[in-house]
Amino acid sequence: MSAVVAEFRRNRLSLSYVIVVALLFLLVVAGGFLSDRFLTWRNFGNLFQQLVVLGMVSLGQTFVVLLGGIDLAVGSLVSASTVFIAHFLEWRPDLLWLALPLALVAATAIGALNGLLTIVLRVHPLIVTLGMSSIIFGGTLMYNKEPGGSVPRGLADFSYAKLWGIPATAIVLVAIFALAGLWLQRSRSGRSIYFVGGDREAARLNGLPVNRIVVMAYALSGLCAGLAAIFLTARTGVGDPRIGAALTLQSITPVVVGGTVLAGGRGGVLGTLLGVLLVTMLNNLLNFLNVSSYYQWVIQGLIIIIAVSIHTTRRRQ
Amino acid sequence: MVTPVIELSRIEKEYPGVKPLDRVDFAVRPGEIHALLGENGAGKSTLIRVMGGAIRPNGGSMTYLGKPVSWQSPKQARAAGIHVIHQELALFPELSVAENILVDAQPRNGLGLISGRTRHARAAEILSQLGVKISTHAKIDELPLADQQMVEIAKALVGEVRLLVLDEPTAVISGHEVDLLFDNMRRLKREGVGIVYVSHRLEEIFEIADRVTILKDGQVAGTGPVGDLTRDEMITKMVGRRLEQIYPARRKAPASGPDILKVSNLRAGHRVRDVSIAVKPGEVVGIAGMVGSGRTEVAEVIFGTRDLDGGTIEFEGRRLDRRMPREAIRNGVGFLTENRKDEGLFLGLPISANVMAPDLAGVTRRGLIDRRGEREIALEQIRNFAVAAPSPEVKVGNLSGGNQQKVLFGRWSRIASKLLILDEPTRGVDIGAKVEIYRIVRNLAEQGVGILMISSELPEIIGLSDRIFVMSQGHVAGEIDGASATEEAIMDLAVRSIERRDGKAARLEQVA
Ligand SMILES: Nc1ncnc2c1ncn2[C@@H]1O[C@H](COP(=O)(O)OP(=O)(O)OP(=O)(O)O)[C@@H](O)[C@H]1O
Ligand SMILES: [Mg+2]
Repeated sequence: MSAVVAEFRRNRLSLSYVIVVALLFLLVVAGGFLSDRFLTWRNFGNLFQQLVVLGMVSLGQTFVVLLGGIDLAVGSLVSASTVFIAHFLEWRPDLLWLALPLALVAATAIGALNGLLTIVLRVHPLIVTLGMSSIIFGGTLMYNKEPGGSVPRGLADFSYAKLWGIPATAIVLVAIFALAGLWLQRSRSGRSIYFVGGDREAARLNGLPVNRIVVMAYALSGLCAGLAAIFLTARTGVGDPRIGAALTLQSITPVVVGGTVLAGGRGGVLGTLLGVLLVTMLNNLLNFLNVSSYYQWVIQGLIIIIAVSIHTTRRRQ
Repeated sequence: MVTPVIELSRIEKEYPGVKPLDRVDFAVRPGEIHALLGENGAGKSTLIRVMGGAIRPNGGSMTYLGKPVSWQSPKQARAAGIHVIHQELALFPELSVAENILVDAQPRNGLGLISGRTRHARAAEILSQLGVKISTHAKIDELPLADQQMVEIAKALVGEVRLLVLDEPTAVISGHEVDLLFDNMRRLKREGVGIVYVSHRLEEIFEIADRVTILKDGQVAGTGPVGDLTRDEMITKMVGRRLEQIYPARRKAPASGPDILKVSNLRAGHRVRDVSIAVKPGEVVGIAGMVGSGRTEVAEVIFGTRDLDGGTIEFEGRRLDRRMPREAIRNGVGFLTENRKDEGLFLGLPISANVMAPDLAGVTRRGLIDRRGEREIALEQIRNFAVAAPSPEVKVGNLSGGNQQKVLFGRWSRIASKLLILDEPTRGVDIGAKVEIYRIVRNLAEQGVGILMISSELPEIIGLSDRIFVMSQGHVAGEIDGASATEEAIMDLAVRSIERRDGKAARLEQVA
């Protein structure tokens, strides 16, 4: 937690977070007025459960965007990982201890491969990860077209477990974010992401291992996708080759709404966490109000544009 | 009295924590070259941005050609006849010279489409008017910095100009190009154009300017005809104190002991053909030569940012096996690059991160970066180099040009425990800070660091170096002892070998 606080202090000048927090506050107040089911303990429990998957994927996306890149393969990677986990566990439910690490290692490796390809081929990450996304998606479909597989009780229980009334998964998520914040701000490799994202050539001149850092950021994005897949499989109980598709673009929203600059070098994970909260809460409220999902898309689009334009005008001053 | 081209009165500008302009009065008459002087961070560029409409002042008023104005955008000022050449070049690196020169005056053909042929013809015409030979088809990022600056100047000759503002145009050019620039300035002056000229080289002010205004901490410290002030008076007004001695004392005995750096028969690309240079610990070795003689490339090869085609580099008697900046830094080598904006600074990050970038390990305690330690080091370097900044958290992109250079100095002087390579170290740095930098370079040398310094400013090379290598066309043309060197001797070497190789005496005038 202290890392989050430290990051907050460090960024207090940018005020970016204040904007998101203000929006969040507005949403809570409005929600309280508009629906009597919104401001309830129960709803917030659900809400936190819902945001875990998006939170994980967005965290990974944050690393890559800070680096000045983008990862469009996360959605397919999440889907593929759920398929892998659910089928593996259907086959050998007793090998849970093996299945999960294996899934994480594979997801991390695919992420690292993304990073490696951007370096070796010198192709824009947008293209590399788009291509990779397609390959993973196709590969998964070859293996399995419909949702399938199953998970053992233990894993399913974890997804509904509560600690002091708070979903355990949400606690894990916040802990991971805090760790990520600490790592970004206070470790050499974490700080290096800002250097490489700020100016790659300058980073090289300053003797930083640029290629290694690039691969690491994409690998972390892969790892986060793998973790998201574990949360997701635990909750749904199946592996679904299409379940992650929407996550790719959804994962970018909280990152930019949270004040991380698409060009790289500026931003942080606290912003992303707030961004995830904002987006999830908004959709949750709109659901209560029976607003059709078409409008939800429109409203989400507006939020992105408005929030980012506030960030940029603030920076210009 | 004639109406001034532009007249600013009581102009104010404020940023959080700094007030770069505090009730500034400033006027330029037609046909006058008005020099703007002041330390780094005094507010010169800020004043220029106000005149050119790039920023809006917080207070004060402005008249242009007798009418009150307040620019809403640079475009509006440009349309009214004000052309500004900003301190940091504003070129499109991927586009051709012609496209850059005619960037806001693209010639059209009958169909309203941009005509490539007319464009190149127009651009060539402007370049020849300026007197430089640059291909209009070349891409900007293929050109040396000096040529890029000339392209930037060429842009100013397009269309009608009533006020020309030049912010440190001579920071990256020298010799022949400066003469060309001055010729063109005099021509424009005869045509009645008002010119504002910023430079840290005082000799230039005496050569070209009619009047001078000196800024100090955002306020006008003095203004008047150039002849009314002596060089020392100008410096005193700028710096706020007298500067007794510019260059520190040279070392008494020649450096002894084994070479810290030994470069033998180096070849790289077409710019470096055969270079052998050695530096001993505690010695300041200067590299002189004309722009394009291969000096920067030699430095890049040594540091590992450029491939070598032949020859050897020995560092403390060992050959460096993996040639990359990381390896060099690990061995205690620092490299202050010539082009600070493109090479080395993280403009979006704070001073502290910029200072610590090559040495994160140095502030890591038990795996975590020690924030307080980092801040303290940054503060120390800010003090050492008198960087004008309210705190180490200030983004480097918000600093004035000269202060950015000081941050770079603060970074590399810490890292370089064995060898410090300096490429044009005092470019854009004010006279007070220059003296400070010379002192620090000499101090480092006294602590046993070897210094390899490239510079186009001959007084600096002569004043500071223990030994001087003169380069010419990729070769070392000769070596001179620093104490007995003269500008003539260096120039002679830089040019004579060209004559010998090309048999073209005509080249002589290029340097003279
Ligand atoms: N956008 C900005 N935000 C904050 N501070 C700024 C900004 N622009 C300029 N400053 C500050 O204003 C002061 C004046 O800067 P300016 O660039 O005008 O100096 P200068 O006289 O041109 O110096 P130099 O000789 O180094 O080019 C500096 O202290 C600088 O840090
Ligand atoms: Mg300036």
